[in-house]
Amino acid sequence: MKWLIFGPEIYFLAVAAVFLILSVIRPTGRRDFLAGLFLAGLGVAVTLASLRLEGSLLSGAYRVDLFSQVFKGLLSLGFFLVVCLCSNLNGIEEGRHSEFYLLLATCTLGMMLLVSSLELLTMYVALELASYSLYALVPLRSGAGHQTEAGIKYFLSGIATSALMLFGMATLFAATKTTLISELALKLPDLLSTPMAFIGLLLTLCGFFFKLALFPFHVWAPGVYQGAANQVTAFVATATKVAAMAMLARLVSMSNGHTTLAHVLIALAILSMTYGNLVALVQKDFKRLLAYSAIAHAGYSLIGILSMNPTGYAAAVFYALAYLTMTFTCFLVVVKVASDGCDLAIAELAGLHRRSPILAMALMVGVFSLGGIPPTIGFTGKFLVFTAAMERGYFLLVLIAMINVVVSLYYYIQVLKAAFLLEPDEELPAIRLSAPATILTAVMVVVIIVGGLFPRYLFQLAQAAVQVLH
Amino acid sequence: MSVELTYFPYLSCILLSCLVGLLVILFIPRERETLVKGVSLVFSGISLALSIYVYCAYDRTHGGLQFVEKLLWVEPLGIHYFNGADGFNLPLILLTGIVHFTGVLTMWELRGRVKEFFAFAFVLVLGVFGFFMSMDLFFLFVWYDVSLFPMYPLIAIWGTTRKEYGALKLFLYLLAGSALVLPGIVYIAVASGLHTFDILALMQPGALTPGQQRFAFLLFYLGFGILAGVWPFHTWSPVGHVAAPTSVSMIHAGVLMKVGAFGILRVGIFLCPLGWEYWAPVMAVLATIGIVYGIFVGLAQTDLKYVVAYSSVSHMGIVGLGLATVTEEGLNGAIFQMFAHGLMTALLFSSLGYIYDKTHTKSIPDLGGMSKVMPVASGYFIVAALAGMGVPGFANFWAEVTVFISALKVYPALGVLAICALVLSALYMLRVVQRAFYGPRNERYAQLPDVSFGLGLPRMILVAAILLFGLFPRLMLDLVQTAVVPFMGGLPR
Repeated sequence: MKWLIFGPEIYFLAVAAVFLILSVIRPTGRRDFLAGLFLAGLGVAVTLASLRLEGSLLSGAYRVDLFSQVFKGLLSLGFFLVVCLCSNLNGIEEGRHSEFYLLLATCTLGMMLLVSSLELLTMYVALELASYSLYALVPLRSGAGHQTEAGIKYFLSGIATSALMLFGMATLFAATKTTLISELALKLPDLLSTPMAFIGLLLTLCGFFFKLALFPFHVWAPGVYQGAANQVTAFVATATKVAAMAMLARLVSMSNGHTTLAHVLIALAILSMTYGNLVALVQKDFKRLLAYSAIAHAGYSLIGILSMNPTGYAAAVFYALAYLTMTFTCFLVVVKVASDGCDLAIAELAGLHRRSPILAMALMVGVFSLGGIPPTIGFTGKFLVFTAAMERGYFLLVLIAMINVVVSLYYYIQVLKAAFLLEPDEELPAIRLSAPATILTAVMVVVIIVGGLFPRYLFQLAQAAVQVLH
Repeated sequence: MSVELTYFPYLSCILLSCLVGLLVILFIPRERETLVKGVSLVFSGISLALSIYVYCAYDRTHGGLQFVEKLLWVEPLGIHYFNGADGFNLPLILLTGIVHFTGVLTMWELRGRVKEFFAFAFVLVLGVFGFFMSMDLFFLFVWYDVSLFPMYPLIAIWGTTRKEYGALKLFLYLLAGSALVLPGIVYIAVASGLHTFDILALMQPGALTPGQQRFAFLLFYLGFGILAGVWPFHTWSPVGHVAAPTSVSMIHAGVLMKVGAFGILRVGIFLCPLGWEYWAPVMAVLATIGIVYGIFVGLAQTDLKYVVAYSSVSHMGIVGLGLATVTEEGLNGAIFQMFAHGLMTALLFSSLGYIYDKTHTKSIPDLGGMSKVMPVASGYFIVAALAGMGVPGFANFWAEVTVFISALKVYPALGVLAICALVLSALYMLRVVQRAFYGPRNERYAQLPDVSFGLGLPRMILVAAILLFGLFPRLMLDLVQTAVVPFMGGLPR
């Protein structure tokens, strides 16, 4: 019965196996979608059912606790939501649809293993499982040009960061003679004043900075966001960020409030916010804009983690959920408006308020949530993060972050202006949403607003989850 | 979950009537324009009725915070859903009710995207009501931003002159203000060591050191001051007011600018009284510059709406001057001035909106002799202009007199300067009235219809309210006094 705590992982392994078989017998794309939707929905149920499980496997290298289970829940939710978008998977050739689901499932599996691993090598293997699935997913898009370039860029910069991370892990091992997080957490606080341990930890963090697209590990983001199929981008933009935030919280908590590390992270957070927001100002493509906004959001979420206090970690968990919902809502609009699977320029949103009022409303809520305007979940997330930073006395950091928020509002408003104000040059047909898609859109809008107004239970869950970190 | 509910939750019902109105509108098909307007009128009427009831039912002999609704919201952070009414916010709740109701009536002839307009207007008013009645910093900030973001679509879609520029400028300016307010709020909650956002708990003396109060007050003054149109952060306001459609100008100049001034009072002055005393001279100087500046720039305008917009800058300067005196009369006058100016400026924009809808011009030289063409519409404008000049008999007279008397005591030089400027403002308002409404008639507009009874109704309500509080100022002054006296008495000296 001990293997039951391994439930979500085994389930997603099974999902991957199902799609492996389907890809061999090559059925039609429609059946793939329905199978994927069913299996993903069941996956959410399985992970939620195992939310309260606890236990340890492989002599402490793999631990199942509330922290990991909450993130597994978020990951399976992300997987489910992305599969919901795949009803017309026009960006990817029909024959490759089962491979798409297969890779999506293995990537989710990899990230699930990742959030539970408490040993550096396990962590590395899990991360690479997730990464290699993504390397294959990005160039899967049909059409010529961008996707291959994006895929190669992503792959090269990805393995370069992996190398850095491995080097960092090796250095950490050399400094502490252990790879177990539980022992590292005991030894590191004293050792962090030595350059070897400090650099080792910092380089280990790099692997997750890369996933989070934090400046200066962001170079892949715009190309990949634009080059990959819309559904793949939605997955990269939501689920992988959530996993990266979880791991950063776990690794940074080992340092036990080390000041120099906090200062380095503050510098990275400020650079990332400022760079992302400033470059986003001039973007014309909506997905590219979301990529730069993701770079900025990497900075905001890091503020919670670098505060290194219980409120901060809980705020980071809350922010991960908030980020998942609001980014997904934006990609929902992208997928539905660009139904032919092409990229979506901001100007192409023109007239959206007449073509589909509900999508326009979802876009407004999603974008305002990204911009941190209440009463949305994005605002509440920022508020929690800022409260945590203020508890540590980082007043200037909060002020700089708020100024960044105002800068970011400029480009978010440009998106809304296109959707609500501009009229298309030629009359475009109304966008017909199927009934499930309408419900999904409405649910996302409600979740963003209700999550923003009633953060109580979610925040308490986040607080309970991060208890294992300190 | 601890609930403290001593009264029927009238205040929440005001919010609820806006929220339900919004939801109902969202589910009406967009072709049913009249139905949308009717629903807006009904629900804005309900919120007006409730705000009148709360204003009258408030027990003046007891004073203090009444109609309290308190609900623990987010336990670990000390966030409460906490509403209450006192002598400070009651006038403003009433003002919001009146201006929104009359605003809906004013926009009765709106064509095109009617459903969205009234939906956004409800969001805006929901935020304003919530802001005025909230006693918790977290909710205060949430309502504050809720009242700001609908301004962008409202101006950019339905506005006129340079609407996109005006809307964007206004939006970014106001949110830049909130970028100072939010760190300030979190700073206060954390620095006090109380880890609560409850304003009453944070008000206790000694929660913050004098240095912290001086720092936090500056943040709130600058942050809310942008919205209150404090010179030199006022530049968004004339552009935004001119670009906005009529009822949005009414709500915006009439109510939203008061949100800024009230924020300075409720957050800055309540929580950082020592900072208030420290920065009061700076506030007084900036406010006086605002009064004088608004009048002189207004003198040079040829666009009628710009004239009104700049007069708002100068009238909000009077509010600022009242707050800066740190006296009972000054505070009282400032609150009264917020109320009176809200009604007066709503009337100005409302009557101006009618004239613009018919003539499609706001240029003073183009108009000319309008009182012969539209005697009633012109009448409303002239009444509002007289009220703005501080002619006795109108509510504004009492407000301005109260502020200036206390200003003369505390800052004699600035007081004299402001009074001189105000005399000058009478001159220029009369000049505008004379050029636009008297003199030779412009034949192009000779055939235009005058304002009908239905459309005149909102203006009549506003005139009636201005006269009511002008003739019986104690209806308001006494109420405000119930809040001001205990507050000033409790200040650490």
